Amino acid sequence: MTPLTRTWATLIALSAATVLLVPMPGRAAMAGLLVLAWLKARAILGGFLHLRTAPGWLAALTVPLALWLAAIWGLAALSFR
Amino acid sequence: MSLDDLPGELILWILIVSELLVFAAGITAMMATQLTDPQGFSAARAMLDGRMAALNTVVLVTSGLLAARAERAAGAGDRRGARVALMGAALGGLAFLSIKAAEYARDLAAGAGMDSHPFFTFYFLLTGFHAAHVIAGVAVLALVAIRARPDAVQAGAMFWHMVDLVWVLILPPIYLLG
Repeated sequence: MTPLTRTWATLIALSAATVLLVPMPGRAAMAGLLVLAWLKARAILGGFLHLRTAPGWLAALTVPLALWLAAIWGLAALSFR
Repeated sequence: MSLDDLPGELILWILIVSELLVFAAGITAMMATQLTDPQGFSAARAMLDGRMAALNTVVLVTSGLLAARAERAAGAGDRRGARVALMGAALGGLAFLSIKAAEYARDLAAGAGMDSHPFFTFYFLLTGFHAAHVIAGVAVLALVAIRARPDAVQAGAMFWHMVDLVWVLILPPIYLLG
């Protein structure tokens, strides 16, 4: 399997995991859905956009994305206390 | 870590980060507005068909794989292979738009209009803006396929991956959270 195909397979697997997690209620499930979205974004940035070969740049994008998704989770959790 | 380490043109990375910021601002505004009416947002969100969004994710990431293969083929001097992969990626974009159009038709038939609830205002604006990027992306993929030069194909593929990236990030807040 080539690295590009592996990235695609990872994205399909993460999408399948998202579908499985959707019926679960609660804030932990919402966090899980956002973690899966972050992992998909990381796979696209690292695999398709080649940031895995650019030292430091993958983290430079994925860390702010993680912080933003954490803020989104916080807003969702506040809405459904 | 330096700018020279970044793959592709710097201007495309500026575009990618700018687009991420625009969509992040829209999603953050939607989630903040949800605080004023959680039940209403939840009921509105329940009217959407998440299965179509899931199908579109599969379509878009598969299209992304084809764009990445086009970039690799163009880099190896295989212009025909690059063109075939670019056309496959563009067809994926058209499939995405067809599914999105069917989803909008279903939403509108169910009474979900731009003005029916603030959630739907955000929903149509954010997914519509994303669909506009898909249309632009399909045009870019078709344009770079004409000469299939490695640098142009790489730029087209990077734009396409940005469309993919935005979709996987906006999907959970719009369709799934609540």
